[in-house]
Amino acid sequence: MARINPEFTDELKKYGAFDPNACYNCGNCTAVCTLSDEDNSFPRKMVRYSVLGLESEIQASLDPWLCYYCGECSSTCPREANPGELMMSLRRWLTAKYDWTGFSGLLYKSLIASITGFLLLALVVILFGFSMEFRMNDLLHYGHYFEVGAIALVASIILLPNIVRMWYQTVKKPGSNAGLKTYFKCFGELVVHMFTQKRALGCDDNQLRWFEHLVLVLGYLSLLFTTVFLDWFSTGSDFIIFLGYFESALIFVVTFDFVRRRIQKDQEVSKHSHPSDWFFVIWLFFMGLFSFMVRLFIDLNILEQNMWLYILQLIVLVQWALLIVPFGKWTHFLYRSFAMYFQKIKLSAS
Amino acid sequence: MKETKKILEYDALVVGGGIAGGESALNLANLGYKVLLVEKDLTIGGKMIMLSKVFPTLDCAACITTPKVSEIARHQNITIFTGAEVKRINKLGEHRFEVDVLQKPRYVNVADCTGCQMCEEVCPVSVSDEYQYGMVGRKAAYIPFSIASPRAAAIDIENCTLCGACERACPTKCIDFTQTEEEFLVKAKSVVVATGFNLFDPLKIPRYGYGSQKNIITSMQMERQLAPTRPFNTILRPGDGKMPDNIAYVLCTGSRDKSVGNPICSQVCCMYSIKQAQLLMGALPMADITIYYLHIRAFGKGFNEFYAQAQDMGVEFIKGKVGKITEKENGNLILRYEDIEAGVVKEAEHDMVVLSVGILPNQGISDVFENEKLELDPFNFVQQSDMLASPAKTSIEGVFVAGTASGPMDIPDSILSGGAASAETTSYLRRETV
Repeated sequence: MARINPEFTDELKKYGAFDPNACYNCGNCTAVCTLSDEDNSFPRKMVRYSVLGLESEIQASLDPWLCYYCGECSSTCPREANPGELMMSLRRWLTAKYDWTGFSGLLYKSLIASITGFLLLALVVILFGFSMEFRMNDLLHYGHYFEVGAIALVASIILLPNIVRMWYQTVKKPGSNAGLKTYFKCFGELVVHMFTQKRALGCDDNQLRWFEHLVLVLGYLSLLFTTVFLDWFSTGSDFIIFLGYFESALIFVVTFDFVRRRIQKDQEVSKHSHPSDWFFVIWLFFMGLFSFMVRLFIDLNILEQNMWLYILQLIVLVQWALLIVPFGKWTHFLYRSFAMYFQKIKLSAS
Repeated sequence: MKETKKILEYDALVVGGGIAGGESALNLANLGYKVLLVEKDLTIGGKMIMLSKVFPTLDCAACITTPKVSEIARHQNITIFTGAEVKRINKLGEHRFEVDVLQKPRYVNVADCTGCQMCEEVCPVSVSDEYQYGMVGRKAAYIPFSIASPRAAAIDIENCTLCGACERACPTKCIDFTQTEEEFLVKAKSVVVATGFNLFDPLKIPRYGYGSQKNIITSMQMERQLAPTRPFNTILRPGDGKMPDNIAYVLCTGSRDKSVGNPICSQVCCMYSIKQAQLLMGALPMADITIYYLHIRAFGKGFNEFYAQAQDMGVEFIKGKVGKITEKENGNLILRYEDIEAGVVKEAEHDMVVLSVGILPNQGISDVFENEKLELDPFNFVQQSDMLASPAKTSIEGVFVAGTASGPMDIPDSILSGGAASAETTSYLRRETV
């Protein structure tokens, strides 16, 4: 027998939800949603679970990840209960629940904690710069080491265990008995959704938003590859240098548009921005812009006189890699695609 | 024009000739007060005279309205202006209201018109018939409908080509194109506001596709199809004239919906839809009727039994708000909704859809009050300043409200409200003589 928990909506409000208690269960949101189908009818059920505070039902569900937030449910909601934003806050809440360290929840709920974290890391980078006496070659060298090390550590210590926890909550615990064969058979789903986000095309309004997002994802992943494995900042290959310029430019152009939309609030999806959303898009913008400029300064041979720029780039990179990637909005990249994978496994097994 | 303004004196001015205003006027007139009833439409009787039957008794609406309407029309203490508008109400003091009334030309001398319809026959102009809610046409020279009061012709001058055919055909020579607007200055001792309501316009919900998808009609259009003065003599879907056999009702269309600016319940849609479903089972015995609802509000006397009766007759009730309606090539409609009891999104096909549209305020009346403000409530209905102790009282002493002008309500409540308004008006008028 499930116990209801009326305080749960107060908890969710800290993650950005509005007033799910206004819901009178008409189901309009589910009916207008183009992604909702007979196997996964959302978001009303999630609103209901949230109002009743049925945390284990929400944790067992993949529905929040199957929503790509076109905002139709919110703009047509007869009660202005804002189901679209509720799904968004559930994704944040789930991110916090999957995270074994508990940092996610802390950063989502407390802006002060987030800012403190960002400032501390900035301070560490500046102190590190001092200890190196701002020598360009040393800093570039360690900067590159940091990238490789951070990726390995964050992936193995934070992200992998969190994905396992997500799998346990959504697949194992609800009693799916899928065999290993099913996991292999469905693996393609994971790859496809990770690199194309094609499900987002099912949202009515969404062709441009999907395209921009796709460009951003591919630009980001390839820039990551270019800087980490092709060592963009130290390479002598013209092709790699040009590739890096192109990728970083893509990132700051697209994120500039994302930031513009969040400021103008011209679509339902960009109307409500949680601090974590701002950090995510602005830091991505900085990453693209600063790495573009650093490489430009190297090519113009003026980086040595302007080490402040590299320090700035390193600060943003460290904050990104140690806060936003493991605990912030970056994780939706993994959870969304794994959700599609797990969903397929659950359906194939039943 | 100012110098030709005629001055009239009455004890009470009743604005609106629907069932609530009519009831008020009749009660006041029976007590001996002189009443002026001003109606902006060409006929009195309001929305009720257009209806098929009333819930939950299934009495014929016209058979209740028409005797009342003719009693009002023939009452020696009541003067009726149809096709007239109240332009300005000025309160000079207690029991002293000064009112500007504009009588628009009908281009027919009502006293001479016999209602023979010969003008209709010869008129070459066909336009959409607003009294049948656009489902059929009428002429530019026309009698609004067969039980209109007065049952007299009118010329729709907007669409008239001035060909003169009606003038030549009229046996009593009652058509007069020289009529012009006439202004009256009315001195009244009290005012009853009975301006009724507007129906929600479903074009405001584009995802339902009303207007572009021909087999979606409003509940008022269905009401006309079921009424004794109906346009087709049977039930037809407008797209292709097929007799429907699988009809869906979409409740709360424009009611309880903040996204269209009307957060409140219209109070009548559940019951009139249940009523129409029962009538349809008589009119189309083989048809399936499905009602998509949020919550059935059957709160009045005999209402819940009426709801149960519909269930027993086989009307299907599905809990879930319809999210969108799409049209198939054959004109059938796909309704997408979440079956709330199953928690699953579903699609259902119907060959005709009725949108149970809600009640909206008719708020223009508050603008005509000049020196005192007629307060409206948060939903733009006339504010009842003392709802429990004196339900017809408004923010202006001597101005009373009747019927749906004060909020959504059904017919029995409107008549009760009209009665209350006349009683409170009487007590106000009596205070002058004491």
